[in-house]
Amino acid sequence: MATNNSFLPKSSDMYELIESFLQAPTYHLIFEALLIIWIFKLIFFSTEYRPESVLTEKEKAELIEEWQPDPLVPDVDENHPLLQAMEKNIISGKPDKYVMINNKSSLNMATLNFLGMAGNAEVEAAAIKTLKKYGVGSCGPRGFYGTMDVHLELEEKFAKFMYCEEAALYSYGFATIASAIPAYSKRGDVIFVDEGVCFSIQKGLVASRSRIKWFKHNDMEDLERLLLIQQDEDKKNPKKAKVTRRFVVVEGLYFNHGDICPLPKIVELKWKYKLRLFMEESFSLGVLGANGRGVTEHYNISVDEVDLIAASLENSIGSTGGFCCGRKYVIDHQRLSGLGYCFSASLPPMLATAAIEALNIMQNDSSILQRLRENCRKMYDGLSMISGVEVMGDPLAPIKHVRLAEISDNRELDMQTLQRIADHAMENGIAIVLARYLEKEEHKLPPPSIRISICFMIGIKVKQSERPRTTNIVYRHLYDITIDRNDKSERVNWNKCLFP
Amino acid sequence: MNIGTATSEENPTHVYFGTRGFWITYTIIVLFCHFLLLSMPFFSTALAWTVTCVFHSAFTYIMLHNTKGTPFGTPEQGKARSQTTWEQIDCGQQFTPTRKFLTIVPIVLFFLASFYTKYDTVHFIFNLGALGFGVIPKLPQLHGVRIFGINKW
Repeated sequence: MATNNSFLPKSSDMYELIESFLQAPTYHLIFEALLIIWIFKLIFFSTEYRPESVLTEKEKAELIEEWQPDPLVPDVDENHPLLQAMEKNIISGKPDKYVMINNKSSLNMATLNFLGMAGNAEVEAAAIKTLKKYGVGSCGPRGFYGTMDVHLELEEKFAKFMYCEEAALYSYGFATIASAIPAYSKRGDVIFVDEGVCFSIQKGLVASRSRIKWFKHNDMEDLERLLLIQQDEDKKNPKKAKVTRRFVVVEGLYFNHGDICPLPKIVELKWKYKLRLFMEESFSLGVLGANGRGVTEHYNISVDEVDLIAASLENSIGSTGGFCCGRKYVIDHQRLSGLGYCFSASLPPMLATAAIEALNIMQNDSSILQRLRENCRKMYDGLSMISGVEVMGDPLAPIKHVRLAEISDNRELDMQTLQRIADHAMENGIAIVLARYLEKEEHKLPPPSIRISICFMIGIKVKQSERPRTTNIVYRHLYDITIDRNDKSERVNWNKCLFP
Repeated sequence: MNIGTATSEENPTHVYFGTRGFWITYTIIVLFCHFLLLSMPFFSTALAWTVTCVFHSAFTYIMLHNTKGTPFGTPEQGKARSQTTWEQIDCGQQFTPTRKFLTIVPIVLFFLASFYTKYDTVHFIFNLGALGFGVIPKLPQLHGVRIFGINKW
């Protein structure tokens, strides 16, 4: 008995329990035995494996066989146009209305500084004042000691200027929209995008990992067609539709085409098909609308209709960085989710002050916007008169893409033709450039074109002859080039154009 | 855990079930909850064990097999959004120590509950149900399977 007592606890409960174990039903004991065997098997005889590994050894070997190593840095052709341009066009001094290229002063028609803010004396003075107070850099990202009072002031100013609740400031224009898109759109979401969007939007789309549906450039019928397909899909699988976000991303003024997006129609579709609308306004900010508020002001549409507006400060505003603005709960999300916002050092305070100053100038003097618009229209009219080339885009756009009316199959040849026009213009004191792209990476490569940018300063302060001079040079050179391609009868028509 | 830094895990849900002290913490929490139930005056020992078993299975089922995605702000653009927590453990690797541990816990609880309920048939049915919910969804054959499309999207 003494040994028994030492094994069993004194509690009668435990004794009863063991009694009941001895009388347990057989099925239960068999089940427990099976479970114990399973545990043993699990612990000692189950080896790790990965269910997703779909490649067999043979397939792996084939893949390795197929792989060809590429050089880390590919060989660059010595005649590469960019290398040539770099050697040919050495710029000295401060680019302004005029730019010194190879010690020769040329009229600057390649700048995106539409309002002349970069180089403006007041803006410079404000920036230098801030430089003396804060130094050069901001020493950290916005969330980590990188927020200065000027950043907050700039955000507030922009929010007020755009009639938005809030604005988030980025330190690099390219990264603004490229960070904003992936902050909202994730795997499994759908983004409807115009085919003509600029490169930074394309990179944002890639980073979002979403399903991308491209619609034809500014073709609202094509967009609606895709939306109807999506609607059908959603009806078939409502549970999936419930967790799928649908976005539409457009550019206010297309950098690669120079035309304006049909915002009223897009807003209509947005409400009809329940989309979230993102608009990139880098080239329309400070250009379109009576006060430079961009496409929304141009069409007289409330900013609240657009869910997010992103714009770079590197064009009209003449500073660095960019901002996103919209409703507070939309924009605040980026302060933790916008990768460009969280993980890069904030805008140098002096550049923030420069942007504030530029915005002040723009708000105080809307005549510069008027002058810019006049110039854009005049240039459009001038360029449209030239036969043999086509001016793409809207008369109001400060970027004009001039492309050949007859595009040949050989892109290289067209580029060379256009380059000769650009070279000729340069010889005559007008700096214009060809629109260049990362040709292999663009989603849809726009046709080769000369990109002519218009600054508000030309044509008004400068003597009147400058505007027609530009068009004439383009025209005359075209005449020279195409003379060996075409017959006599057409030449006569050109002469009419030259001396209307 | 550092999220979004160069050396961080892409998705901490992959690893935190296997981090140091997790298993012992888990065991302590289960026992603590059991003793809490046992301390209720109107709960008999048998009922307390069955309730522990059922609650444990229900809770782990919701946490591991019903909850999808990850609570962490990860930089992988919603890769885990379609996966349950269980599927994310150890990046989907099967039969890892963590997975074995999490599978064995409900079985051991079943043994204990059976023992303390004196192999009563009514208690057995409830405990068997709890065991099923605790173990069957963890089988590797059911990795990524959504029966009848439940919880698919």
